[in-house]
Parts: sequence; structure tokens; C-alpha cells
Amino acid sequence: MIKRLAVRTWTILASLQVTIVSLALLMALVVLCTLAQTELGTLGAVNTYMRSMVVWRQVQGIPFRLPLFPGGALVGLVLVVNLTAALIKRFEFSARRLGLWVVHAGLILLVAGEFCTGAFQVDTRMTIEQGQTVDFVESYHQMELAVTDVTDPSHDVAYGIPDTLLKDGAAIALPGTPLTFKVQRYYVNATLARRGENDPPSPATMGVGANVTVTPQPPATADNDVNAASVFVEPVAGGRSYGTWLVSAALGAPQTFIHEGRSYALAVRPRRYYLPYAVTLKKFSHDVYAGTNIPKNFSSLVHLSNAATGEERDVLIYMNQPLRYQGRTFYQASYGKGDTLSVLQVVSNPGWLIPYLSCALITLGLLVHFGITLFNALKRRQVLREAV
Amino acid sequence: MRKFNQKPGIDQPGRVHAGRLPVLAVSAGMLLLGLGCDRDQVSRSNVPKEAAPSMPPAGMPPAGMPPGAMPQGAMPPGQVPAPPQPRAALKWSVPKGWTEAPGSGMRFATLTPPGGGKVELSVVVLPGTAGGEAANVNRWRGQIGLPPLEEPGVAAARKAVKCKAGTVAVYDFTSEGDVKSRMVTGLLATADGNTWFLKLTGDAEPVAKAKPAFMKYLESLHLD
Repeated sequence: MIKRLAVRTWTILASLQVTIVSLALLMALVVLCTLAQTELGTLGAVNTYMRSMVVWRQVQGIPFRLPLFPGGALVGLVLVVNLTAALIKRFEFSARRLGLWVVHAGLILLVAGEFCTGAFQVDTRMTIEQGQTVDFVESYHQMELAVTDVTDPSHDVAYGIPDTLLKDGAAIALPGTPLTFKVQRYYVNATLARRGENDPPSPATMGVGANVTVTPQPPATADNDVNAASVFVEPVAGGRSYGTWLVSAALGAPQTFIHEGRSYALAVRPRRYYLPYAVTLKKFSHDVYAGTNIPKNFSSLVHLSNAATGEERDVLIYMNQPLRYQGRTFYQASYGKGDTLSVLQVVSNPGWLIPYLSCALITLGLLVHFGITLFNALKRRQVLREAV
Repeated sequence: MRKFNQKPGIDQPGRVHAGRLPVLAVSAGMLLLGLGCDRDQVSRSNVPKEAAPSMPPAGMPPAGMPPGAMPQGAMPPGQVPAPPQPRAALKWSVPKGWTEAPGSGMRFATLTPPGGGKVELSVVVLPGTAGGEAANVNRWRGQIGLPPLEEPGVAAARKAVKCKAGTVAVYDFTSEGDVKSRMVTGLLATADGNTWFLKLTGDAEPVAKAKPAFMKYLESLHLD
């Protein structure tokens, strides 16, 4: 009984019908995801439809979300299992099938590559003014609670608590310090206003937050909108509380407190990734076609300085000519401030090679398969001719 | 800021031999798992000192400033505002051996006593009452981990120092803990409607050494 069930499951897993249904679902997901971009923005739509196991939808009148459609991750997973099972089941050690194996392997790798990109690609930006030197990149969407020890006159020590850890009620210890931050309330997005006389008291007992009201807002969905993440947080050290502070991306200067002679500044900002090298913008160029305002070229002449390797060199970054350095790729992405500020998109993707490999495998597999088919057809024709 | 279209690619430098694909795939998988583990951890980096903080968005006070302070016109993020220029500037005699640096950001001036150690005197001027005396006193206390005081406690902690510019309200607070921080602050409301904050802060010992000179400095304050 169990054996029969296993055989039946194995047959379904390796069936062509599952392949066809999976591919059809993927096509439908592409259409739904494209349409959803108007409502959710590009990243929101991709996360909801393509990088999720199930597409959930909140329906009015029902207190919980309903599963609307299988997500891209689930369909992709089924497709990988299906193709792998088909490959194993129909495995035939003959030259005739060689091309098809390679094509299947390429397809599996293609889907696996998307999983890898979804899980590990980090999209960041570097905003840099002419003459400015920057040694960090910032996330487009992730925020962090930045705690900076500004005591040392020669340098700062920056701690970044990513927003994924800022959960209501969480207690986050700062490594290497006696500080623990108790998160009382975290808002992905909020608006701040001066507290009126009739407003309820603020949870903040310290800093500017005591005179501010926080109104939660839905997360920003438009591609150019940024969440004003805000958090009520209580620093605790050596058994002493430093009060509850409101720290928000909507506030300007950091707020500071002193513990055991060390000064700590609190701020919420886009998540930073510090680099072991620095980039200086020497010149940003915005070229136009003569006599028009039509853009011809955008380029950033930067100086790359790496103290660890002693590397000092100038690099020109322009359209489709990015700087590739130590696992990150710097693309010219935007500009501003009267052409004196350049924004570079910085992409880090450990799985960058997988799509290239998979496309090469699929091409090679198809060439081999059609080559073998052609060879056999020519051979049959030759045999027929000789028979006649 | 304007945007123009450019699709980022997915290529990165490197070279891989196809024959090592299975080994590469397994190694890459393990590497990726390792990389993935770092994503949700608290990061720590030694970084260069940053320039003075930028002004906040319009309508909101700078977070490090007193509760009632309003920005004098919002500036684009990343720009450092010029030091404030009150109508009637406060003047003083720099104590012997002290050094004075011009203001930057929200500061009007910074003075440093001799003898080393962690101690400095910051001078900040803000329009109006800047949130009121009690709110500012409790903000300072909170910065060194001391609990807030009620109005009678604030009055009890206040010492008055006379100078030509008016009466300076002086507060002296020392934190608890193994390394004690001390804050001696002078608060002066001038006739032109501004409030001046004169704050001697640092480790308890160098602040104690600098305090007598600081008190004479407060007595020397006058308007030009």
C-alpha cells in the first residue's frame, strides 16, 4: 500500500502535467505581479507575488487573510522538484538523451538562481557629493536603529540594529557594551507632530519625543517613497534605565545620553553597510546633445582608496559601465543638487553567476539535442538512399 | 532629484570552470548560508567622525535640541547649517589657558579647558524659552541617566550667578556609576528674547577642576 502510494507520488512529481501547470502558474503570476505594481510598488509586488510561498489577500469582513494564489517561491520549488524528479526518472545513460539532461539541469539552475537572488541579493545606494568621501552604502528599504559611541575624539563606533530585530517587547544587547535596548513600540512608518494639549501623553520620557505625537502610517509602497520608521526605545545599562526615547527617521539630529563616561547618539536611518574602502566623487558629468536638453551621458569620476591593499585609482562610472569591486557592483543610478551630487546603485549578489551558467547550459543542451537529432535524420536519409 | 532608467545587471567579476560545477554549487550553497546568517545581526564598525548633524525636516525640532526649539528654516538633508547669529551676541572673557573654537552646526562656540581629560564647554543659543527651564533641566539629567525632577526639585537645584547680561541659572549634576559624568550648565535668558545654554560637560574629575574657572566665565558674560 505504502509502496503503491510512493510510486504514485513519484509518478505525479515527475509528470509533464506538473511542469505545464507550474509554467502556466508562473505566467499568471508574472501578469498579476505586473498589475499589482501600481498598488504595491515594484518591491512590494515582487515580494508579495514572486518571493512568497502563498499570495495572501485581506478580504473585507474577514478578520484573517485568505490564500489567493500559490506564490512564485512555491511554484518555483515545485518546478525544481518536478524537473529533478523527471531527470532522475527518465535518466537514461545514452548519448541520445545527453542534450535533454543538460537542458533540464540548466532550467533547475535557473530557478535555483532566482531563489538565491531573492534570498541573498542586497540592493543599496551610495549618495555622494562632489569632493565628498564616503565609506558606506545604504539600504533602499531597510532601516536601522543606529547607536553611535561618539566619545573618542578621533573616531566613532557605530552600532546598527536592523529593523528586523526591532520587534515590540524585544531586548537587544549591544555587543561589547553594557547597553541593552528595550523596544517598547516600533512603527515601520509614521508621521510625527507636535503634541497638542488634548493629545494623550507620549510614551517617551526623555528627549524630544516627550513633546511629539506619533501617528502610525501604512508602509510606503511607491518606489520613491521612504518609510519614516520610528521607535520608542529604552536604553538600560548597569541596572539603570536611561528613560524612554522616541527615535525616528523623521527627526534630524541624533539624541545623546551618557553612560559611564561614554556618550551614545541615537538615530533611525537607512541601514548602513560600511565598506573596507572609501570612494571620493571627483566629478559628476551630465552631458546633453548639442543645442538640446536631451541627456546624452551621465558619468561619475570617482577615486577608489583602499588602505588595506594600498590601492589608489580613479574609475569612471557611466551608463552600463559599472565599477565592480570586492563583490559589489556600482552603477550610475541618479543625480541631483544641480549636477553636483551622484547616486550610485550598489548591488551585492553572491549568486550573480547562476543565471549565466544556466543560460549557457540550456543553450548547450539544445544545440547538442538538435545536433544529435539532425545527425540521426541525416543518417536515416543516407540509409534510405542506399536502400533505394 | 531626478531619475533616469538603467537596469542594473547581475554580473560580478570572477571566473568559473564548468567542470567544477557540482563542487562549486555545494561550496556556494554553504557560503550563502554563512552570508545569510549575518543579515539580522547588530553590526559594529569603527568609522570616521561625521560632520555636524543636518537640520530636521520642516516643522520638527532637531532631535538633540531642547524640547521647544524650532528650526530656523529647514535645509536639505546633508547640509550643515551655519552657526546661529543672534541680534545681540553674548561676549565673555576666555579663562586663562582655555582655548576657544568657532561654532559649527547648532553651536555658537566651543571652549576647552586646559589639562586634558574629557571636558568641554559648549555655547548654544536658541530663540524664545526653548521649551522652558524645567524641561531642559530634566533633559540634561536624562542624558546622564538621572531621573527627572519635579518643579520644586528644579528650584532647589538652581543656583543664581549675576553677570552684566542678566542672571544665569546654574545647575550641577553628576551621574552614578563607576565612571561618573558631570554636567554644570548655565541658562541665561537675554532681553532680546533668546535663551543661551552654557554647558560644561565631561568626566567628573576634569569638570570639577574646570568648574571654578567656568563660574568666573559665567560672571564675565555681557552683551555687546
